[in-house]
Amino acid sequence: MSLIERLIERAALALALAGGLALIAMTVLTLVSITGRSLVWAGLGPVPGNYELVEMGSAFAIFCFLPWCQLRRGHVTVDLFLAPLGPTANRLAELVGNLLLTGVAGVIFWRLLLGLADKHRYGETSFILGIPLWIGYAAAALGAAMFLAVSAFTVARSLAELRGRRDDGGNPGRAA
Amino acid sequence: MSGIALGLLSFPVLIALIFLRLPIGLAMFLVGGFGVWIVTGSPRAILSQLKSVPYDTFSSYSLSIIPLFLLMGQFATRGGMSRALFDAAASWLGHRRGGVAMASVGACGAFGAICGSSLATAATMGQVALPELKRFGYSGALATGSLAAGGTLGILIPPSVILVIYAILTEQNIAKLFIAAFVPGALAAAGYMTAIAIYVRIFPGSAGRREPSPTSERVAALARVWPVLAIFLAVIGGIYAGWFTPTEGAAVGAAGTGLVAWLNGGLGWKGLREAVLATAVSTGMIFFILLGAALFNSFLAFSQLPQEAARLVGESGLSPWLVLVAILLCYLVFGCVMDSLSMILLTIPVFFPIVMALDFGLTPEQTALWFGIIVLIVVEVGLITPPVGMNLFVINAMSDGVPIGQTYRGALPFIASDVVRVTLLVVFPGITLFLVEALY
Repeated sequence: MSLIERLIERAALALALAGGLALIAMTVLTLVSITGRSLVWAGLGPVPGNYELVEMGSAFAIFCFLPWCQLRRGHVTVDLFLAPLGPTANRLAELVGNLLLTGVAGVIFWRLLLGLADKHRYGETSFILGIPLWIGYAAAALGAAMFLAVSAFTVARSLAELRGRRDDGGNPGRAA
Repeated sequence: MSGIALGLLSFPVLIALIFLRLPIGLAMFLVGGFGVWIVTGSPRAILSQLKSVPYDTFSSYSLSIIPLFLLMGQFATRGGMSRALFDAAASWLGHRRGGVAMASVGACGAFGAICGSSLATAATMGQVALPELKRFGYSGALATGSLAAGGTLGILIPPSVILVIYAILTEQNIAKLFIAAFVPGALAAAGYMTAIAIYVRIFPGSAGRREPSPTSERVAALARVWPVLAIFLAVIGGIYAGWFTPTEGAAVGAAGTGLVAWLNGGLGWKGLREAVLATAVSTGMIFFILLGAALFNSFLAFSQLPQEAARLVGESGLSPWLVLVAILLCYLVFGCVMDSLSMILLTIPVFFPIVMALDFGLTPEQTALWFGIIVLIVVEVGLITPPVGMNLFVINAMSDGVPIGQTYRGALPFIASDVVRVTLLVVFPGITLFLVEALY
């Protein structure tokens, strides 16, 4: 358990940081593009395909953030009505939530792969730079796969907490 | 069962799932997905949608403004700007009765100009202001109430994540919405300060005295907050003037705030890493809800409930004002248990067409802007209404032993001030709209 836990944690962390890097790269790219656009008189110009690069970066970043958010229990829940029922009922609810989420993560990953195959087959490309769209899907699939893995892991984590082997069921994590 | 009946049924089911502690995005995803399946009679439509909907939602250019604003907010919370803002506000306001609490509210409002999130604003200013409020003898109720309420200014004063989402849902101009939010936001800060002034006169024991600062100190303190003003003007001014798109504006803001934070020594490698990871959690949370909402809205569109509801209300002959008040009361009730983003995503697809079908004597665009600002305020009231006001929890947890009951009590004057303000904004749409009219 603990080796898997460490592995999952490391991988989710690495992906989240990679997504952050993409976000910072998007920021820098946008700044360069704005600067270029305002210096048209000096022979410069905006970065070509700036918007579509931001779009691809954004998809990659957000798919990379999902596993980390799930691992850190970042999703919003309404705790008010189950809180009086005690820790066991709440851990049970968390287990059910994580099970369903694993199903949803599986569906997202499965459909994303099919979407990838579609984009690849039809050879769709981005508007200005002509980047094949399947590349964006492939980058996103990395995060989606990890989202599935982390969700499955959180089911195991919930089970362990339900059996009382770990006592951090009420820890809301580091939500911002 | 007809689509409309299914649409109507979906709301109690969704709410039941949410109350059973399912993550809100997950509940919307499930109800929306199965809803489309049932309405269309086969899983084919929803499965083929799912090939592209997640990627399209996450790669939307207009939505990419959200992680950038969240990153900007994270930089702002680490940049030492909260301390400078609080010192400046306290040097100008602190000597008045209840002045340190007023300064906390003022500093929250100013911080809201570079941070689009209420929780982050409340938490960041709380770190700086709570110890000061305690030092000057402010009661736990007043101290925590002021900061929880002040935090809501973070989302009221542009940039605002919720307003961006409203703009995208309703296809309105983000810059105009930001400008429309400006006067109501300033009014909110003034209203909160008035609430404090009245409160300390009724309960004189709840606030201590602070010596006035000399003028030289005031000027010096004010001079230290210029980066905040510069960033705010660059972002909002640049978007307004058309120098860049809102998303580009968010990138400019993130870069500027990051630079200031780095110069202030608050953003080394460790700080940057933490800022990115915190952004990852809140971005993941928001986009998972956005994805669920995309499915749920696609189901609602299939069910034709929004169009039908708008038609029925339009033909019912009910007074538009009555309908509006009923909608706002809905938000106040739900705000007691739900977070603002989920509420907006759940309700706007149904309420917005209804409101747009009513005649308030305004143009459609005016109605959309005005309604957006009012909704933004009523959902924010939810952050400081017991029993589930997130800002109350966050500030209370930071306050070192103030009982939650006192925090609840401390929030009451501010809730009252919110109710007065919402009433004013509803009765006089001009308060919200005149700045937009003047600038466009």
